[in-house]
Amino acid sequence: MFRFIRALTTMNLKANLALRGAFALQVLFMVLNNFTFFVFWWALMRRVPVLNGWRLEDVELLFGIVAAAFGLTVGLAGGVRHLGRFIDEGQLDTLLTQPKTVLVHALGLRSQPSGFGDLLSGVVLIGWSGRLSWHTLPLVAAAVGASALVLIASGIVFFSLAFWLGRVETVARQLWEMLITFSLYPEPLFGGAVRLVLFTLLPAGFVGYVPVHLVRAPSWAEGVALAAAAGAYLTVAIVTFDRGLGRYSSGSRFTTFG
Amino acid sequence: MTHKRVTMSTAAKYLAVLRFSMTMARYERAELYGRVAFFVVILGVFSSLWRVVAEAGMPLAAEPRTLVWYLAITEWILLSAPPIYIEIQEAIRRGDVVYRLGRPVSYALSEFASGLGLLLARAPVLGVTAFVCASIFTRWLPPYRALLLLVPFGLAAAALITALYLVMGLLAFWLQDVSPVFWVWQKLLFVLGGLMLPLEIYPDFVRRVAAFTPFPVVLAEPASFVLRSHVEAPVLLLHLGVWSCLIALTACWMFRRAALGLSVNGG
Repeated sequence: MFRFIRALTTMNLKANLALRGAFALQVLFMVLNNFTFFVFWWALMRRVPVLNGWRLEDVELLFGIVAAAFGLTVGLAGGVRHLGRFIDEGQLDTLLTQPKTVLVHALGLRSQPSGFGDLLSGVVLIGWSGRLSWHTLPLVAAAVGASALVLIASGIVFFSLAFWLGRVETVARQLWEMLITFSLYPEPLFGGAVRLVLFTLLPAGFVGYVPVHLVRAPSWAEGVALAAAAGAYLTVAIVTFDRGLGRYSSGSRFTTFG
Repeated sequence: MTHKRVTMSTAAKYLAVLRFSMTMARYERAELYGRVAFFVVILGVFSSLWRVVAEAGMPLAAEPRTLVWYLAITEWILLSAPPIYIEIQEAIRRGDVVYRLGRPVSYALSEFASGLGLLLARAPVLGVTAFVCASIFTRWLPPYRALLLLVPFGLAAAALITALYLVMGLLAFWLQDVSPVFWVWQKLLFVLGGLMLPLEIYPDFVRRVAAFTPFPVVLAEPASFVLRSHVEAPVLLLHLGVWSCLIALTACWMFRRAALGLSVNGG
């Protein structure tokens, strides 16, 4: 399995780098995109330096972790955002005949070069937050990795709804974008029922807030909680996809994937 | 008399395109509902943010409730404007534009009319969403005069953004892929247009640069009706008029150059 994932990743990277100019342009514009969005926080926190205990460095860390996790997700498992269409249009046919896991193969089908721009800007923002050093690097990498796993798992669940509900591309995409939107804003903004949702159905808490806590104040309890959450969401995602695959009906398509 | 009749029939053709596009938009509602959901979430997040900012007790240029309304208006204008550049870019890349040039309507004007139809279908739904959400989240209503002025100026600003999308789409005659242009435009709109924060909150040099662009005219200026007690409607009208003329002239010139290039060199 790991050899297959490695081969898929290498192939995606080579495919992206084949068009170097387009790759560089997409990376550059995504970096610019993220920094432009961050101008909002720089402008705001110039006037309001502390928001319920959150300083600019903390927002940089949050934004950095989520951007890097999102970059890893769409850079290495970009197919997650297209699962709904694959299912609805019967595009999984080609994968079903192959001797590898359908889900992993489908995830690796659409690598987005812009994801590397997200990853790069994420690393820069984490660096600016002052939390990145050789000493904290493994912890930051683990936090970003866990955040990416929760993102991928959530994407699989949202887009797998197509197995039961048919054309749900728009709804699933909205759920996915809401998850990212909520992950990008500081935790103290949300309370009550919204907070409950953000740690269950729309797990922004495990995409952004808990990884940030872990890097700001490392503790075994928080580390175990994050790893358990990532494992649980991934398990739910795999079970959901496998159950859905049992209902999948062929699109009778003659096509090739590349 | 004859000239008048010809003008009327020309207007009727584009009006038909506009009405057709409006009808189509009513049947294809998925994207609109997606925009509504996004709108509700973003207003909810920002109303929480401004509440926390208010609790922090730090001075800002405006009250938190007016900032939520400001965002509701900028997002209403932006989300109402349909990104017609995508359709134009695809038509140019596929080559479909060649057979559309032969029709007895201007390709650029019919695309703009179609965009206005989409805008008129979306704007009321998004406007109601903005009004309901902002009033629930803030438990406050801006002065009625400001709300009444917002509707025509907001629609005019959204139409101007649609015209800018048209210009962007026409660039595909030369660039093929206009995504990088859109990305730059989007970032400039975000900062220089004051999408999320009024321009007063940004440093001086940002405001000075913004004054030379159409970005504040389409977002910050109409939305500022809820920030200020005195409303400078004639000034905004003048700005909208000047930029509309400039953008219309640019679109006409670009389309003529592109059509001439296609006629001389082929599609």
